[in-house]
Amino acid sequence: MNTWVKVARYHLVRPANYLFLLWILPFSFAVGAVTAGRGRGHDAAGYLISFFIYFGVLGMQTIGRSLPFGLTLGASRRSFYSGTALLGMALALVSGLVLTALQAIERATDGWGLSMHFFRVPYLLNGPWYATWLTSAVVLFALFVYGMWHGIVYSRWGPLGTLAFIAVQVLVVVAGAVVVRFEHWGVRSAASGSSAGLTALGLTAVVAALAVLVLAGGHATIRRATV
Amino acid sequence: MTPAISATGLTRRYRDHTALDDINIAISGGTITGLLGRNGAGKTTLLRILAGHEFPSSGSVRVLGAPPAENEDVLRRLVFVREDQAYPDIKVGQALRAASWFHPNWDSTLASSLLDDFGVRANKAVKKLSRGQRSALGITIGLAARAEVTLFDEPYAGLDAVARQVFYDRLLADFAEFPRTVLLSTHLIDEAAALFEGVIVIDRGRVVLDAPADVLRGVATRVSGPCLAVDALAGGRPVWERRRLGSQASVVMVGPLSPDDREQARSSGLDLTPLSLQQIVVQAAAGVLAPAPETSFETERTCA
Amino acid sequence: MPEMAGLDEGTPLFVQVADRLAGEIADGGLAEGERVPSTNELAAFYRINPATAAKGINVLADDGLLEKRRGIGMFVATGARQRLLARRRAEFTQRYVAPLLSEATRLGIDTGELFDLIKDAGHEREGVSL
Repeated sequence: MNTWVKVARYHLVRPANYLFLLWILPFSFAVGAVTAGRGRGHDAAGYLISFFIYFGVLGMQTIGRSLPFGLTLGASRRSFYSGTALLGMALALVSGLVLTALQAIERATDGWGLSMHFFRVPYLLNGPWYATWLTSAVVLFALFVYGMWHGIVYSRWGPLGTLAFIAVQVLVVVAGAVVVRFEHWGVRSAASGSSAGLTALGLTAVVAALAVLVLAGGHATIRRATV
Repeated sequence: MTPAISATGLTRRYRDHTALDDINIAISGGTITGLLGRNGAGKTTLLRILAGHEFPSSGSVRVLGAPPAENEDVLRRLVFVREDQAYPDIKVGQALRAASWFHPNWDSTLASSLLDDFGVRANKAVKKLSRGQRSALGITIGLAARAEVTLFDEPYAGLDAVARQVFYDRLLADFAEFPRTVLLSTHLIDEAAALFEGVIVIDRGRVVLDAPADVLRGVATRVSGPCLAVDALAGGRPVWERRRLGSQASVVMVGPLSPDDREQARSSGLDLTPLSLQQIVVQAAAGVLAPAPETSFETERTCA
Repeated sequence: MPEMAGLDEGTPLFVQVADRLAGEIADGGLAEGERVPSTNELAAFYRINPATAAKGINVLADDGLLEKRRGIGMFVATGARQRLLARRRAEFTQRYVAPLLSEATRLGIDTGELFDLIKDAGHEREGVSL
């Protein structure tokens, strides 16, 4: 059993620690059903966001919570990182599948009989089932490793370091937006449809590329982490 | 034969102080060595570097022939029981399960029996354990791993004297049956003194003493009694400490005592008390001791 | 702690272990041809490092007082008791008689008085069954 798998198993040694995240989905769904109003065709998809955000938080927590004992167990930092990312991928694939299934049921029951569109996110999760699965899994995984990276930055440089890290990212995004504006690359907002610019699949590819970047960044940053 | 643990010119600097300064040690395989010194002397830093939890600033360390940091071939054969181990939100039994996957020599029967000895339930959440119970968990993992290199950093926080004795007994028993290299840092020196084959004393980041325990036992004796008799016996020999009160004097004399010495002491009414390992270490850490205890530094007479 | 089993601070532990075993042999507690406790048993009893216990045994083995039987353990050699007693007899003067004399001198007890003291003590001892 190589070390990556051992690390992933180590995270799951108390399954409740990670299964908890699967409860977020029905919980926020129930909240959405109650507060979003019945029969108004209301898009309650915002509640789905809490699930996605939770994935990022989960990724971040893996470092602070599990790295110390992980190192004591004898995993190298890089194996710990890879094993945890592996776990994130597995969780993302499973969760994506659950989301896809729920979306299918939602469509079949026409919004759970209440015309509620909880699992339909226009533009992003609106296509065939395999596209939904791929997109949601990729986004969830990207958020997970993004959270991991922040966890590592926090463990090495504390709250101030993390703030600086976020500030740098904001600067990069702003600079990027300015560049794109000037270049008229035509990335339209979701509402205007996909006639020109990126398709959902294209966006998925962009997110996947970002995830790879984040993976490399986190892998490099964890090398000198101490606990 | 290659030492199981070695450090060459090992230095660890932080922004505001130097934790380890040019450490050179070599520990043979299959021995129990005591790592002694005051709080803040650098024992924990040394152990963390040996376990790959921290990185040297300069110099090198080798465990089982290779640098340990990020080296899973070494890490698999090593176990480190930290004083301040942080665990995720798991139960005792789950921590042991995880440990069993990472340590090839893991013995789960031993692990259960140790938990019983210390009265820790496998079903309890680690976060809810008392300090002593957490230490017991660390000790359980450290012993049941049967790792070729076993590092203990003051593993007995919160354990009472009875529980500590259980630890020493179990350590000795398992070590006798499955020899390994053990490095145990402690500040309760006299309790553990008889376990050690070797002793390393660290003070302010430097090694001040590195000798077999046998050599240290009986290396220094407190001679007390009538002033003149003390001088007669200790005159011309290295002395670490001298005190005087009226016609009575007390010196700590260095070096072995011959049967003639003892006879002379008895006939002149002198008391001979050998220094315990703890007392020797205190002297060493106070800087009274040069690296070789034989170095004399005071030979004048006391009564004059 | 080994102090609880009677080992002290002064002499190296392995010497004390060897002395204890030698004492047992001299007293007849360990008979010739009898198996001596193993290294691990001694280590557990005295709560010391097994290497130290092994060193103590080796001292006696090197002296020919113990012999090794492959795969079984260490045994008391023939004639060991005699040799130990002879050795202790030779040391008797230095260990016991000389200190006795020097203490007697210190207290001002002359030789004649000393003889009487010894005789009286001897009679008492024989009177009490041992």
